[in-house]
Amino acid sequence: MGRSQADVAATALAAALACVAAAADAPVAVMTVLGIALFAAPGYLVGQLLLSSRITGLERMVVITGLALAVPVLGGLLLYAAGVPLHRPGWLGLLAGVTLAGDAALLLRRRASGSGRMAPSLWRPAWRVPRWHAAAFAAAILVAACAVAVARIGATIQPQPGYTQLWLSPQHQGEHTVRLGVTNDQGGTTSYRLVLRRNGHVSATWNITLADGGTWQRSAPVAGSGTLTADLYRLPDLSHPYRYVSTGSTTAAGS
Amino acid sequence: MTAAGESVSRLPAVYSERGGPADTSPLRFRLPVSAVALIAAAGVLVAAAAYTAGRLGHAGAPWADRMYWLGQLLILTPVAAQLLSRRALVVSETVTLVVVLTVAEYLVKVCYSPAAFTYADELMHWRTATDISQTGRLFTANNLLPVSPHYPGLEEVTSALASVTGLSIFTCGLIVAGTAHLLFVCVLFVLFRQVSGSHRIAGVALLLYAGESLFQSFDSMFVYQTLALPFLGLTVLAVGRLAAAQAAGSRLGWFTVAALSAFATVATHHVTSCLLVATLEVITLGALLTRDRALAAWASILALLSAAAFAAWIVFVAPSTVGYLQPVAAEALQGLRALLTGGHLGVPAPASAANGPIENQALEAAAVLIMSALVPVGWWQVWRRYSHQPWAVALAIGAVSWYVIVGVRVFVADGSELAGRASTFVFVPAGFIAALAIIRLSDNSLRWPVIRAGTRHGAPVVVAAAVLAALVLVFNGLVNGWPPYWERLPGPYQVAGAERSVGPEQVASAEWALAVLGPGKRFATDEGDLPVLGSYGDQNPVGDDGYLYTSPAFTPAAAQQVQAQSLGYVLVDQRLSQQLPASGQYFPVDPNAGKYTRPLPLADLTKFNYVPGIARIYDSGNIVIYDLEGSAYYGP
Repeated sequence: MGRSQADVAATALAAALACVAAAADAPVAVMTVLGIALFAAPGYLVGQLLLSSRITGLERMVVITGLALAVPVLGGLLLYAAGVPLHRPGWLGLLAGVTLAGDAALLLRRRASGSGRMAPSLWRPAWRVPRWHAAAFAAAILVAACAVAVARIGATIQPQPGYTQLWLSPQHQGEHTVRLGVTNDQGGTTSYRLVLRRNGHVSATWNITLADGGTWQRSAPVAGSGTLTADLYRLPDLSHPYRYVSTGSTTAAGS
Repeated sequence: MTAAGESVSRLPAVYSERGGPADTSPLRFRLPVSAVALIAAAGVLVAAAAYTAGRLGHAGAPWADRMYWLGQLLILTPVAAQLLSRRALVVSETVTLVVVLTVAEYLVKVCYSPAAFTYADELMHWRTATDISQTGRLFTANNLLPVSPHYPGLEEVTSALASVTGLSIFTCGLIVAGTAHLLFVCVLFVLFRQVSGSHRIAGVALLLYAGESLFQSFDSMFVYQTLALPFLGLTVLAVGRLAAAQAAGSRLGWFTVAALSAFATVATHHVTSCLLVATLEVITLGALLTRDRALAAWASILALLSAAAFAAWIVFVAPSTVGYLQPVAAEALQGLRALLTGGHLGVPAPASAANGPIENQALEAAAVLIMSALVPVGWWQVWRRYSHQPWAVALAIGAVSWYVIVGVRVFVADGSELAGRASTFVFVPAGFIAALAIIRLSDNSLRWPVIRAGTRHGAPVVVAAAVLAALVLVFNGLVNGWPPYWERLPGPYQVAGAERSVGPEQVASAEWALAVLGPGKRFATDEGDLPVLGSYGDQNPVGDDGYLYTSPAFTPAAAQQVQAQSLGYVLVDQRLSQQLPASGQYFPVDPNAGKYTRPLPLADLTKFNYVPGIARIYDSGNIVIYDLEGSAYYGP
């Protein structure tokens, strides 16, 4: 294979590797690199096929990027019309298919015209960046990455008031049970007492200890048309309900 | 000239990059673009630190606010100074400066919400992208923005990237939106450079374009317009190349690029599709006026093709577009009518938080004055230098829209929203025409006797004046753009705010609603909780429900209204009784917007506890959800 077909080989390789990696359920880091390469490949190839070497520099870059973004837009519509689900196999098939078809068409055209040796030379940068400029650009990228990291850390450590969710699933006609649930998002392990009342009389009590993010659920039978109320106390305070829910309250909170 | 020997522009060069009077300036030092990039990155870091300070409890501190603006100064000032400097830059340097400006501002936007989308429109599109990824189907229902799934371009690209990489929808959304935004800016640069024959003018035009109020926010957000804009730009670019192409093969290639881009625009965003047709028509007009038959023919053919594709899309795929756009179009027409008849339309906008502090309004007035003064000078430049250039004539025609949106903003009640949304498109021609003016004025001013007498000192003064004017425009865009001044920095929860109304407790309640109640339930809720409930919760919240929260009793009239609206659930955020609404209104449709003087009474919010038959099914402390579906008040 001549040097002029390196782009064809590289895009075909990216397509093949992305498909193999997806089939092997490769880690996200690997799929990210291969996926982005596969994402860009159709735009490059369609650009090469349509415009060949007629444009250079920034204009070439914007046309290729635009085409790379247009392929999933238009291709996705075609896949949907064909009844193909838009999950990973569908998208991989589309992008890899366009890439390999583009490779084949480009290869044939270059062989026919014998002008293949021109294409790769266009990718050589027209200007060289001095070493210290490159270092400054690298430092800029590093500082910008630090900025995003600072923002992410800030979002992570932002103080958020803790909360506890208590719920009672809506009672539908014909159902004889309701689901009760508690989720702890207080930021640490928390102990609760949940008291279930029917028409004001205690029918069940649970002592619950949940780690942060933990959830507790139970089904409770429903009999007749009475009111079902669940009062959640956050221990050690047993005098005031911390949360409460009710199937159809007729009285005040927590009663 | 291109590699194939085609003319990039159909004009002889009308602007010389070198040879101006200041090129003889003894000041030879110039900051390298790599240093500008490094300073801009430091600016992003300073802005991110200000955001973190806000999150850690200093959102209202003046020093945190100043830190944010210091970051913006670091980003903008060196770029503006370099682009407006009279020292000649090479093309790659100008391109780099434009890219640095765009990327730095985008990163500031990312740093505002670095962990998840929080802006309401982004949440709407996140919902659709998530639905596509989960179901593998297009055109799923979206309760917050029903028309958006019928323009699935953005979500297709995002879910495709998420599928093949395994990254989250949020991360892929940031990549796609950022790439699309940068691509649009680069397309504009290529177009402006071809039209003017000058990368300096193109760079300054892009600097001024960054002054439009949505540049740093809405135009780079995860919303469908962000992706449609570069497709529009690519179509226009291809039309220009198509008209200039000599060989049949070249014409076929560019026609295919133009057609693919136009179809992609149509499949991505409705308003941008309309604007694509309008843009191509204006280009046709410019070409007819300058007797460029080839350009007129190709631009009109592509305009017809785009219009036909958009019409077919509306008929066969997205019939709801008409109902969605009709009120917007009617409002715009009413505004124009009011403008032409010289009167105010309807009731003037209430004095609310949306109007902003006096210094923001003063900056806006200054920016409007500067731009309004520059555009006529730019027209004069087009008349003098570019009168045979169809693209420049088309841009000059398009720049008339600047005065239209100024009129709408000043004379039409509630015109700020319409004018703000239009600025994305209006600033394309207006920015270019104003750039012609700035370059001409700064070059010519060095010939004025008062400055020529002291050229040594005069040149920097002229450049400084130009930089100041540009910075006023760009800072106005930031100050009066998004986020609003009352949410400049991220921070603790705000009642009926914007992105600060999206917190873990809201998200948890919305996710609970989806998991337990299922999607698409009719919910009453408030301004702050609505986008979260509609996106994370995939529920169907209504906006006109203030009557449920602003009376001490659940009256028969309210019960009737509940039935009429088929409301199944009421979400009550009890913090509505603790704070005034940051945005000025508690509810999306709020007749009392801007009139609240104290928070809502708690009793108005808790009254549902005492209504027989209404179940209280969820309680997380601040948020309580009531079930009306199981009550006598429910009327589906």
